[in-house]
Amino acid sequence: MGALLATPRGWVESLGTLVKFFGRVVGEVLGLRVLRFFGEALRQAGILILSSALVIWSLCFIIGLQCGIEGAYFNRSVGSPAYAGVFAAWCDLRELIPYAFAYMMAAKVGTGIVAELGSMRISDEIDALEVMGISSMTFLCATRLLAAWMVLPFVYIAGIGVGFLASYIAVVQQIAEVSAGGFSLIFWMFQNPPDLLYSLIKAMSMATIIVLVGCYYGYNAGGGPVGVGTATAKSMVVNIVLVHLLGMLGTQVFWGANPRAPIGG
Amino acid sequence: MTRFDDDVRAPGPGEPPAPGEDPGGVEPLRREDIEADPPAPDPSAPSAGAAAVTREPAPAGGEDEFQWHTGRQHDSGKPAIEFIDVHKAFGRNRILRGLNMSLPEGRISMILGPSGTGKSVCIKHMVGLLYPDEGDVLVHGESVPSMADDDLFEMRKKFGVLFQDGALFGSMNLYDNVAFPLRQHTDKGEDEIGDIVNRRLSEVGLGDANDKMPNELSGGMRKRAGFARALVLDPDIVLFDEPDSGLDPVRTALLCELIQEIHDENGGAYVVITHDIASARRVAEHISVLWRGRIVESGPAQALFNSDNPFVRQFLSAEVHGPLGME
Repeated sequence: MGALLATPRGWVESLGTLVKFFGRVVGEVLGLRVLRFFGEALRQAGILILSSALVIWSLCFIIGLQCGIEGAYFNRSVGSPAYAGVFAAWCDLRELIPYAFAYMMAAKVGTGIVAELGSMRISDEIDALEVMGISSMTFLCATRLLAAWMVLPFVYIAGIGVGFLASYIAVVQQIAEVSAGGFSLIFWMFQNPPDLLYSLIKAMSMATIIVLVGCYYGYNAGGGPVGVGTATAKSMVVNIVLVHLLGMLGTQVFWGANPRAPIGG
Repeated sequence: MTRFDDDVRAPGPGEPPAPGEDPGGVEPLRREDIEADPPAPDPSAPSAGAAAVTREPAPAGGEDEFQWHTGRQHDSGKPAIEFIDVHKAFGRNRILRGLNMSLPEGRISMILGPSGTGKSVCIKHMVGLLYPDEGDVLVHGESVPSMADDDLFEMRKKFGVLFQDGALFGSMNLYDNVAFPLRQHTDKGEDEIGDIVNRRLSEVGLGDANDKMPNELSGGMRKRAGFARALVLDPDIVLFDEPDSGLDPVRTALLCELIQEIHDENGGAYVVITHDIASARRVAEHISVLWRGRIVESGPAQALFNSDNPFVRQFLSAEVHGPLGME
């Protein structure tokens, strides 16, 4: 019986450790102790913009094309090609742009954080920070979270714009069964500013979790280079699962009870 | 308890009779003195100028594995760092097993011992990166494990630590690595920081490598750069974790010479962890021999090199025959 319970007990312990770590890092940011290293936070923000924004927008563009193409062909098949914008609007803003953003965040930023912090851990750089009298958790983790909060809302909103543009290109220019004006009328009718806000909240929750998971697995990496590799893989698995859980919850909370669609008056 | 000026001998539990002459002509400790010794040090007792001999408590059950651990600690003056009956285990692996050790102020101390005996664990206890399961670690008389986080970070500013591979930050060049503690902990302007950094880098022979990234440096250069960074805040205590690992004998000798020169110039307590006897002969002023998580013997370097303890003698002369085997 004890052996049977050992595995779930281990999971619960790991979850508790994870949540405690998240709490400490978020506390360092909200408690403003991170501002002591604001320069480092700005440096991390710069790294995020320069190294990740373009790949995130690229994936958003592809996903936007996909939503547009899918919407156009589906609506044509049911005899309402003019309504392709409905599908594109919902697909882009509510579901796939947040996922595309989160996938690329997990793949590029999350794994990058694990690899960087993990290699710092195994080469004693984190211990070196500590013995210099610097809180390594604040310097390494809280600054990354603050940088993500400063930069990613803008990156994400720009990503939505890129996705919208791609959907427009797919529906109006590529498949071309609806005029630009007709597409825009329907497209904008099926979304409004609160939807944008909800989408932003959804994506930022995902981004926060991705950064925290990356920090956790990197900061606590051990076992040499192999251990860092294992931690990177684990972080990716955890991030993908958590991203989908957050996506599902966000859809349920923001659009479940009220789909916010101008249908039936 | 009996006090001698510099060198005290006491047979440990199960220790074989001392062979031949008494090195240094020191009077042996009498049996009644040993029996009169307290079994364990009192953490609250003043440590400065402590009595010449302290003895580790006899291991429970009288197991043979500690038969060479006399626990003799020759009086070496005011301690900078003290370990008081420290126990530390990682899972079922017991690393420190009742460690009592005192490292003197103002000298270059070496902690010597075979691989895997807990030398690096000792360093991590000194700076509060690890806490003992039992016992206490004192730095300048203050208990490290009982410090609040803020006090601990403040206390760590007393330390400079040279890690095995230098532990330079991979994202910064050499100049920024060395300047980093100054930028974080002082209000100095960039000009003043530049002067200090250039001086420290020149001292370690890296004056012209300011712009190099850590991955462009050799192992020896990384260690020297780590040394420069460790010194940049003028710490009271400098810790070296195996500074000779991965270096050829000539570069090891040069690094030892550098350590000695900089200690002569700056003073403070330097603690070097190593298992390289040649380095010990070159720079050590005080030696503690650690094995199986306890001190076998500790004292001024000359006294240890002349010790009649079979383990110490074997280890310090790198002999094949003796208590230490491959196990």
